Amino acid sequence: MENDNKATGAFEPKLVAFVCNWCTYVGADLAGTSRLKYASNVRVIRLPCTGRIDFMLILKAFAQGMDGVIVSGCHPGDCHYTVGNYHARRRWILFRSLLDFAGIDVRRVHFAWVSAAEGAKWADLVNKVSGEVRELGPYKEYQGLAGKGIA
Amino acid sequence: MEELKNKVRELLKAGTVQAVIGYRAGSDEKTARVAFVRQPDEADGLILDPRCTDNLAVYLLKPEVKLLGKLAIVARPTTARTILQLASENQLADGQVIVLGVSADGKAVVELASFEALEKFVGQVPAGLTEEEKVLLAKIEGMSREERWAFWQSEFARCIKCYACRAACPMCYCSRCIVESNQPQWIPVSPHDEGNLEWHLVRAMHLAGRCLNCGFCAKACPMGIPLNLLTQRLAEEAKAAFGAVAGGSATGEYALSMFKADDKEGFIR
Amino acid sequence: MARIGVFVCHCGENIAGTVDCPKVVESMMHIPGVVHAVDYKYMCSDPGQRMVRDAIREHKLTGVVVAACSPRMHEPTFRRACAEAGLNPFLCEISNIREHCSWVHEKSEATTQKAIDLVRVMVEKVKRNRELQPISVPVTKTALVLGGGIAGIQAALDIANCGHKVVLVEREPSIGGHMAQLSETFPTLDCSQCIMTPRMVEVAQNENITLYTYSELESLDGFIGNFKAKIRMKARSVDMNLCTGCGSCYQKCPQKKIPSEFNTGLGTRTAIYTPFLQAVPNKPVIDRDNCLYFKKGVCKLCEKVCPTKAIKYDQQDEIVEVDVGAVVVATGYNVLNTGFFPEYGYGKYKDVITGLQFERLASASGPTSGEIRRPSDGKVPETVVFVACSGSRDPAKGLPYCSKVCCMYTAKHAMLYKHKMHEGKAYIFYMDIRAGGKMYEEFVRRAVEEDGVNYVRGRVSRIYEEDGQLVVKGADTLLGGMPLEIKADLVVLATAMVASPGAEELAQKLHVSYDAYKFISEAHPKLRPVETNTAGVFVAGACQAPKDIPETVAQASGAASKVLQLFSKPELMREPVVAVVNRTAPPLFSTCVGCFLCEKACPYQAIGREEIKARDGKVLKVVAKVNAGLCQGCGTCVALCRSKSIDLQGFTNEQIFAEIMAL
Repeated sequence: MENDNKATGAFEPKLVAFVCNWCTYVGADLAGTSRLKYASNVRVIRLPCTGRIDFMLILKAFAQGMDGVIVSGCHPGDCHYTVGNYHARRRWILFRSLLDFAGIDVRRVHFAWVSAAEGAKWADLVNKVSGEVRELGPYKEYQGLAGKGIA
Repeated sequence: MEELKNKVRELLKAGTVQAVIGYRAGSDEKTARVAFVRQPDEADGLILDPRCTDNLAVYLLKPEVKLLGKLAIVARPTTARTILQLASENQLADGQVIVLGVSADGKAVVELASFEALEKFVGQVPAGLTEEEKVLLAKIEGMSREERWAFWQSEFARCIKCYACRAACPMCYCSRCIVESNQPQWIPVSPHDEGNLEWHLVRAMHLAGRCLNCGFCAKACPMGIPLNLLTQRLAEEAKAAFGAVAGGSATGEYALSMFKADDKEGFIR
Repeated sequence: MARIGVFVCHCGENIAGTVDCPKVVESMMHIPGVVHAVDYKYMCSDPGQRMVRDAIREHKLTGVVVAACSPRMHEPTFRRACAEAGLNPFLCEISNIREHCSWVHEKSEATTQKAIDLVRVMVEKVKRNRELQPISVPVTKTALVLGGGIAGIQAALDIANCGHKVVLVEREPSIGGHMAQLSETFPTLDCSQCIMTPRMVEVAQNENITLYTYSELESLDGFIGNFKAKIRMKARSVDMNLCTGCGSCYQKCPQKKIPSEFNTGLGTRTAIYTPFLQAVPNKPVIDRDNCLYFKKGVCKLCEKVCPTKAIKYDQQDEIVEVDVGAVVVATGYNVLNTGFFPEYGYGKYKDVITGLQFERLASASGPTSGEIRRPSDGKVPETVVFVACSGSRDPAKGLPYCSKVCCMYTAKHAMLYKHKMHEGKAYIFYMDIRAGGKMYEEFVRRAVEEDGVNYVRGRVSRIYEEDGQLVVKGADTLLGGMPLEIKADLVVLATAMVASPGAEELAQKLHVSYDAYKFISEAHPKLRPVETNTAGVFVAGACQAPKDIPETVAQASGAASKVLQLFSKPELMREPVVAVVNRTAPPLFSTCVGCFLCEKACPYQAIGREEIKARDGKVLKVVAKVNAGLCQGCGTCVALCRSKSIDLQGFTNEQIFAEIMAL
């Protein structure tokens, strides 16, 4: 992914979104069919359920040079698999606290519930996260780790 | 002390167990090491004093130790909790191990043959962090985010990926650890900063809700990384967020295998 | 080595308008393993699909990426095309560059770059796709229909008449739903009960239909073809086998002043009652909240007069469990609570009523035997004002959507009134007239031209009483917003259609999505209007959105045909997106250590235990095992497994990891 906007040379954050197939992915589809415009720096990775989202994916995304990560799925009570998102929520509670404790910038990891009907919320979410991460700048700390420290 | 030795002799003589896992003196005065006592007269070498802090439960699942036959184990409360946690994860069956429970002051020894007895035993001893541990945690939590990052980066930079922390941990019993999975290679093999960070975070997450806070991992680390702080932080979080405490019962539920519809968080948009 | 083909669709201008498709193709050719890349105007068209099929054969492709619209649109299309060319369909993936890219961004290099990234990610995934075989699942050929209104009745009859068993569940003591309450129906003005009650009787007499009235769904477990439904049969306090429906009990019941639900509170009923005379089943229930015996422990008159000793005061709720293969949700609607509009005075003034109440007034079986008499004093009103859009199309105070039937029934109401009261005056306040439908516009014209109904385009601001006379205050926007005050004897509010009570809880029990107004969401607004996002659960009638009777019946038959399609084969082929526990060489056999923490986390109880045995039968190891019939493929277990011993087909660790690495 190109890091800098060629036209302006300004920093454009790289974002990845891990989304569930039944709510957020469909919500993002709805944003499309509604022709809502939002920032183009997010790449969506589709998973069946937030329950499938391994915390390792978030770490690997940062290691791969992402400046921000969105994790999103069905609202509580709406999970296609009835409770996958409840399991995910527990995992996120612990994982986020661990990231924070380890000094990782949790402002770069965004969790959100976006339903299949919330195309506008999805567009808003991407715009907001994109804006916030743009403010934070490139995630140099994490990106600097790769290959560093090999004796 | 004699009480323990007598008990061990008795168990071995009667053939109730074929081996007893306990402590013996280490190579210097300051250390203790594990003893596998298989003859009644070997019980003389057992010790039980403040040096004996290792979590001996780690040996219970080693295949070569299982080959010794039925086992008894000298267990301080933390080790006893570990045994219950292992039971809740289907790694130990009721009656498989005889626990020689050592009271918190290290004096009294009780024979605990069932999980029920073990549950009563650990129920008498409060679990959780010591005051010193809490102070240390609070110190790191009190740092700015950048300071915490710098702190951990300087700690992790020393990691040589020897996996002594994993070997020392009684809850790290997987036959193939995630670091050995190579399709995909989740965690880079060489000890560079990215892989080190990932290893320590994944280790902590895998122990979240399961760690008994024995501190054996940090003690085993040849580079002196205080990596038990990570698991302690998560144990505190699991307790605060879900009321989950590991090791209380042989049928206890894993905090991440279950949920409540009204689990509270303040960060999901 | 992988041989991947990439097919980039222009979707006319939909994608090509903002994404430089040839550039996407060009950049694909630099990715190792991509041996063929091409763009085309309409990839989903027949020539487009042929390009895919031909390329698979010509280039010996081992994987296909179609960069086009959302996989929810054409994934099945392209997977089928691949299968036709001999490529396992699960080696085909869709990269969504329309909904997730071209439609949401302006034409720019960044947009094209995003499309390239999205396609590249999918190429890396597809390189790691494995051939998968669909899983066949047996199908229980019994349908569960929830709701005994016209939608449920139609669906139940259609399915039953094709020879399959149907379990029909109705919450009220009788089937019939709202349609049984209506007087005449538009645009033909035929009597609703005359066309409804024969269908109700048909249900009762159909030997393939098991009817549970006064019952509700307690829970639904399982999956398409193999659901287990628990139905709560509420205690009727009447033995259905003994009761002959003679009616002696309700004739003698001393509690006679209970507002009748069927008559929308305009008439009364007894504590032991059938909702209406043509009820099916025509057997009463005791309303325990209003029965003297249940309230005070005295009375028992009904027990005394019952000739067959059918009264059972100690009857308990009963739970019945049925195995069904499909579910049709047809739970209907409700009318909006008029509390939204205190200024209209509903509840305060007896002669301000809802449209549904007017139906009962106009109905020959209603409390006034079809004479339109106002509730307060029974007087025949000389002026009636109808207020359309009472709550609909009003995002500020009511609901933003159009309830679709009010324009028509308001015209009908005015006509019915005029037919019975030639000298009377009928006014209709409206915003627009929406009369799309066969003979609908003509019907409205008739109301205006032949029956002399006064249509006033404008909204009503207030209804109040002055000297015992209702005054409707509004404005006529066609006369420049001229204020208008009409003295009315009766006011009828066309209140909005809303989801029926408990719709949300029901949707949650069924694991189907619903919209912000608690209407059940269809799987696709155009192409899958009777399916829900849960396979095997279908939807019909006004529980999906406001609609009229013909539409409801058509949708119900549509849902029934979907059920029949499912029942047409002995087995159902399911996507093999299921979790699998790995196998490795001895002595490990599997990297699963048998902690079984996944077992508890599985939402479907699909994870069990498997003993791995030596030749002599000795158990070497116990590991987790996934029941592919129960697994729905959520992957919660996969994320939980520390040793990565369990993986999800179609979304494997290797695939997702490769996707991230391709970012």
